[in-house]
Amino acid sequence: MQLPLGKVLYESGDKMSHIYFPTTAIISLLYIMENGGTAEIGIAGNNGLIGMALYMGGETTSSRAVVQSAGGAVRMTAADLRAEFARGGLFQNLLLRYTQSLMTQISQTAVCNRLHSIQQQLCRWLLINHDQLAADKLVMTHDLIANMLGVRREGVTHAAGTLQEMGIIKYSRGTITMLDRKALESVACECYQVVSTEYDRLLGEYLRTNLPDRIAPNSASVRQRTVKEKVFT
Amino acid sequence: MPFDARSDVLANKILTTLPAADLERIKPKLERFEMVFGATLNTPNQIAEHIYFPDSGMISLLGTLGEGSNLEISIVASEGAIPLCPFLGTPSSPVRALVQGHGIAHRIKTADFLDECRASPELTRMLLHFTRSLMLQISQCAVCFRFHMIEERLARWLLMSADRMESNEFLMTQKTLSSMLGVRREGVTKAASHLQKLGIIQYSRGKIHILDRPQLEGAACACYAILSAETQ
Repeated sequence: MQLPLGKVLYESGDKMSHIYFPTTAIISLLYIMENGGTAEIGIAGNNGLIGMALYMGGETTSSRAVVQSAGGAVRMTAADLRAEFARGGLFQNLLLRYTQSLMTQISQTAVCNRLHSIQQQLCRWLLINHDQLAADKLVMTHDLIANMLGVRREGVTHAAGTLQEMGIIKYSRGTITMLDRKALESVACECYQVVSTEYDRLLGEYLRTNLPDRIAPNSASVRQRTVKEKVFT
Repeated sequence: MPFDARSDVLANKILTTLPAADLERIKPKLERFEMVFGATLNTPNQIAEHIYFPDSGMISLLGTLGEGSNLEISIVASEGAIPLCPFLGTPSSPVRALVQGHGIAHRIKTADFLDECRASPELTRMLLHFTRSLMLQISQCAVCFRFHMIEERLARWLLMSADRMESNEFLMTQKTLSSMLGVRREGVTKAASHLQKLGIIQYSRGKIHILDRPQLEGAACACYAILSAETQ
C-alpha cells in the first residue's frame, strides 16, 4: 500500500488493527504531551515497523505514528501478527531485537534532547532519515522539523542555515538535499553513531543481504562489526 | 537509610504474579542478592550473566554518553527486571544499570532465565508488558528532558524515588542528582534550595527529606502522574 505524506497511521490511544512494515515510507513516532505539544521519539523506515504494542501485549498505542516521507508499506492484521509471534522462531526473535533497537533509539533521543544543541539534533535527525531514504532528497518543511524535534521553527531555520553555509545540505522550497554525508556525520553528536551501531549489532546480520547497496554498508556498521555475537533463539 | 527487612521475602511483582507452578519451578534457580547503593548491575556491551528481579530498592538505567557521564533515562524497581537484553534476543546492551536505592533482588543465571522464558508463556507475557512500560517511561523521559524545567524534573525524580524506596527520606548527593537529571550542579542546588525555601523538602549533607508531599506533587511536571498511572 502507498502511504502519503502526513497520513496519521495511529493516534495516541487508538486501538490498532494492523502492524505496518514500511518498505519505502518513513514513519515518525510522536509523543503527545498533556498540553498537545509533540516531540518525536523514534523513526521507523524499512528497517522497522509500526504497531509494536500488538505483540508487546497491548491494543492501543501511546504515540502518534505519522508518515513523514511518502512511500510504500505492507501491513498485517493484529490477529495474524499475534499468531506468527506466538510461533516463536526467527520472526519473534527479529521483532524482539527490533524492540531493543527502538528502545536504544528512544533512549538516545532522550539523551540528545537534554544535552545537545539544536544543530546537533538536526544532524542526528537528518542522518537517521537519510539512512531510510532511497534518495538524497527529503521533502520536509522547517515547521515539520521543528515539530519533530520539539523546538521552535527559528531554531531549525538557523541550524539548517548553518549546515547550508557549510555546504553540507541544500534547502529550498521544502526539499532538503544531502550534499556531503561525511561532513554531516562529523558535525553530528555521537547519538547517531550509537543508534546505528546498536541497530547494526542487533539486526545487521539478518538484514545485510536484503538492503539496497546505498544503505547497507553504513560506515558505522562496518567499523563496529568486529565481534560476531551469539544469537539466542 | 532504613533497611527494610520485609524485602527478604520475594516481592518482585513479575515473579509473584506468576502461576504457582511456574514460580515453584523457578524458585530453586533464584539467588538472593543484596543491591548495594552505587553497584553496577549491567555494564554497557558486556555479556549479562544474571537477570535481576528487584524486591525492594531501585535501579537507574543510564543512557549512552561519552566516558564518565551518566544520564538517567528510567528507573526500575520491584515492578520489573533488568537487564532485558537476553529476553530481547542479545547477550548485551548499551545500557548501564546502577543501584540508586539500597534493596534486595532475586537474580537468576541468564541461561536458566532463557529456559524459563521458553517454559512459561506467562513469564514471557509479563516481560513483554514490562518492556513496553519501560519504553513508555523512556519516551516520557525524552519529552520531559525537552520541555520541562529543572525544578519540575527534580520534584518528579524525588517523588519517583520516594515511591520506590517507600520512604520520604533518602540519601542523594547533589553530584549524583546533577548527573541523573543531566543538569549542572548549580542548577540542582538552585532548584533544591527553592523547594527547601518553600518548606517542601529539607536537604542537608546528602540527605533528602520530603516534608510536604502534596506540594511536591504540585511542583512536579505532569510526567509524574502519567508514569505513576502507567506502573500501577
